[in-house]
Amino acid sequence: MPERMFSVAQSGWLAVCLWLLLGGSTLAAAFNPTPEALEKNRQANLKCLACHSEAALRQPPKVDLDLKKLRGLIVDPAAFAASSHARLACGKCHTEGYAEHPHAEDAKDMTSTCDDCHSKQARVIEAEFEQSVHADNLTEPMTCLTCHNPHRMQAAKNLKQPDLIVAQDNRVCLGCHDSDATFAQYAPEKKTRPLTDDAHAWLPNARMHWKSVRCVECHTPSNPNTQSHQILSKDKAVKDCVACHSRDSLLSARLYRHLAEEDQRKYGFINSAILGKPYVVGATRNPLLDGIVIALVVLTLVGMLAHGLVRYLAARLRRRKQHD
Amino acid sequence: MTERIYLFPLWLRLWHWANALLILVLGVTGISLHFAGPDMYLVDFSLAVRIHNVAGLALAALYGFFVIANAVSGNWWQYVPKSPGVLQRCWTQTRFYLWGVFKGEHEPFPMTREANFNALQAIIYWLVMYLLLPITIVSGLIYLNPQWAPARMFGLDGLLPVALLHYLSAAVILMFAISHVYLGTMGARPTSTHKTMITGWHEAE
Ligand code: HEC
Ligand code: HEC
Ligand code: HEC
Ligand code: HEC
Ligand code: HEC
Ligand code: HEC
Ligand code: HEC
Ligand code: HEM
Repeated sequence: MPERMFSVAQSGWLAVCLWLLLGGSTLAAAFNPTPEALEKNRQANLKCLACHSEAALRQPPKVDLDLKKLRGLIVDPAAFAASSHARLACGKCHTEGYAEHPHAEDAKDMTSTCDDCHSKQARVIEAEFEQSVHADNLTEPMTCLTCHNPHRMQAAKNLKQPDLIVAQDNRVCLGCHDSDATFAQYAPEKKTRPLTDDAHAWLPNARMHWKSVRCVECHTPSNPNTQSHQILSKDKAVKDCVACHSRDSLLSARLYRHLAEEDQRKYGFINSAILGKPYVVGATRNPLLDGIVIALVVLTLVGMLAHGLVRYLAARLRRRKQHD
Repeated sequence: MTERIYLFPLWLRLWHWANALLILVLGVTGISLHFAGPDMYLVDFSLAVRIHNVAGLALAALYGFFVIANAVSGNWWQYVPKSPGVLQRCWTQTRFYLWGVFKGEHEPFPMTREANFNALQAIIYWLVMYLLLPITIVSGLIYLNPQWAPARMFGLDGLLPVALLHYLSAAVILMFAISHVYLGTMGARPTSTHKTMITGWHEAE
């Protein structure tokens, strides 16, 4: 292992020290490679991608490759370059046995898991997951990898655009909940897949909602710091329209929370409420515009009443004069 | 004795009251939607959505009827202010509302079979019926099928201009409706024009 300077235990300690130094900030903040190191990672990754990509299937770099097997082991270079792990070397996770091909027999067992690097976050997430509806009963247990592809995953706070976040996150849930085959693979015996459309028949245009809002919005408790991984049982899910369709929409603390700062900078405080986010009936309200509209309606009402009153008084005055 | 003339045929009266009812319903549910929240006591959000969507479609259909019936019957001509002196007559009418009516003056342009709107009415009714209401209806129909709206517009959510247009045009229509009800008390007696819209018969002074 020439490229590794520290043992696993040592780098673990180093990481802990770094976190303490940075006031317990996240790993992403602590990960600060030099441009040279980044370039080195990129070059190293190109070597792996020379075989593990579509291009390699069309033009194999080596003659005796098992192309059939390789077809199932493709990493999309563009998706990887956009992912949260883009700056990492493949070898950072595929730690040993992959430098040469054919790869080592036990290479797969050496792959780092999420909590090797994200131990602090993973501890919280694992605790939340323990209480999730998916934690017990499943024939095939879920792991982080069931929902997260480390080669593609993009953190919501980097994606920012709600429609992109929604597409990524809902694909995860619908991957099982819209597919009998995948669901059956995990489901307890004899459990058939509840039809997602039937379960949400109370929600008008549910499929439209799922283009603009995430499953986790309604199915997890709110957590101010991260996305909770505790999927609640169905009787605890949000069913109240006004939870989202109102001024204090839960969406601003969840789906839209990564937009807030940037929008306020771009549009100013008053306008960011209406310009930055998708338009959601009841939630998108501009206080200035609403103030003007309400004032005009009140003015119309008061104007008419006043006019009527003066008309009435004037008529009485005229009648009294006629009598005199 | 007052003179009675038959002004409004049955179809027009039925249209008028159906239109008024739908706009009232759409106004109440629309307000419930826009100002939705735990402190909104008008109509529950989910119910408001269902009512608003049905009433909205009904209003769109009714509007189609209105346009066709107006064209066929020739009633559309009432909405065209007749030259010359339109501005002068508008001013005379405005002056009457702002001043003359308090002194007990008579309506400067009483309703006749040939012209049941005064010039000011004709212009305002034309704007409301042929400009504002279509804007509200078309934006409402797009709102009902958000996929018709552009995905993005000027870097903003494409539904934003549609929703704003719907909200603002609806607000102006509600303001018009309020003043419309009030101006309806300006007949021979406060109730007489409302009666006219029910019976079709107008009492001239
Ligand atoms: C010369 C082509 C080639 C290169 C270069 C290559 N691989 Fe592979 N790799 C393969 C093939 C072919 C397989 C399919 C299984 C096999 O033949 O061992 C594979 C399998 C794998 C697997 C799946 C192992 C399993 O048991 O499921 C991983 C992970 C992997 N490679 C990672 C890497 C990484 C990381 C690199 C770069 C450091 C890399 N590979 C470089 C050809 C290559
Ligand atoms: C953040 C860690 C991480 C990085 C970086 C990473 N991988 Fe992986 N990779 C994994 C994990 C975890 C698995 C799944 C292993 C398993 O299923 O047991 C995996 C699986 C694979 C597989 C097996 C097929 C599959 O998709 O399940 C291949 C091939 C592979 N990686 C190639 C690469 C290549 C090439 C790169 C660099 C461009 C790379 N990986 C970068 C973590 C990573
Ligand atoms: C080898 C260590 C390593 C492993 C294993 C690893 N990650 Fe990461 N991860 C990182 C680093 C380093 C970053 C920061 C990358 C950057 O800033 O460019 C990161 C970033 C992320 C981010 C973005 C967070 C942010 O604040 O920007 C997410 C989400 C993430 N990883 C999830 C996972 C998941 C899920 C797994 C398991 C499948 C995993 N990671 C496995 C090292 C790792
Ligand atoms: C049932 C599917 C599922 C499982 C299992 C799962 N996650 Fe997630 N995870 C999600 C979804 C959905 C999100 C929301 C995406 C986001 O906000 O970035 C997410 C978000 C994250 C984030 C980003 C959190 C943030 O606030 O930005 C991290 C890190 C993460 N998961 C790590 C893990 C780890 C580690 C595991 C295993 C212990 C795991 N996940 C298991 C579905 C899952
Ligand atoms: C790998 C497949 C898989 C994925 C991915 C998955 N689920 Fe599930 N989910 C299941 C299975 C299987 C069950 C049935 C569990 C049981 O009956 O014990 C289930 C049950 C549920 C239930 C029903 C709980 C109840 O009270 O009956 C909800 C809600 C749920 N999932 C939401 C989600 C959400 C939200 C996501 C995305 C973050 C998600 N699931 C991702 C497989 C999956
Ligand atoms: C607007 C909130 C909301 C959203 C968004 C939402 N759900 Fe639900 N979901 C609920 C509620 C509430 C229930 C319980 C319905 C009931 O019991 O009548 C439920 C029920 C379920 C069930 C249980 C079905 C059963 O009968 O056992 C599953 C599974 C589920 N949802 C999955 C999903 C998935 C997957 C998504 C994303 C595509 C999603 N939900 C999006 C609110 C939501
Ligand atoms: C988890 C949050 C959430 C909940 C709960 C929710 N909605 Fe929505 N709703 C949204 C979002 C986000 C949009 C889409 C805005 C867009 O992108 O166009 C939307 C759109 C709509 C629209 C289309 C009009 C528009 O703004 O585009 C209607 C109608 C609607 N919702 C009705 C309901 C009703 C009725 C309920 C309760 C039964 C409900 N919603 C519950 C988040 C929610
Ligand atoms: C004069 C009549 C109408 C009034 C006063 C009115 C008023 C309103 C108001 C205030 C809102 C909330 C807007 C927001 O917060 O963005 C709304 C929403 C909406 N309106 Fe109307 N509207 C009228 C007619 C229509 C018509 C004709 C249609 C459709 C054919 C329609 C369809 C909708 C739709 C689809 C919504 C979004 C919420 C929902 O799906 O119910 N409206 N309306």
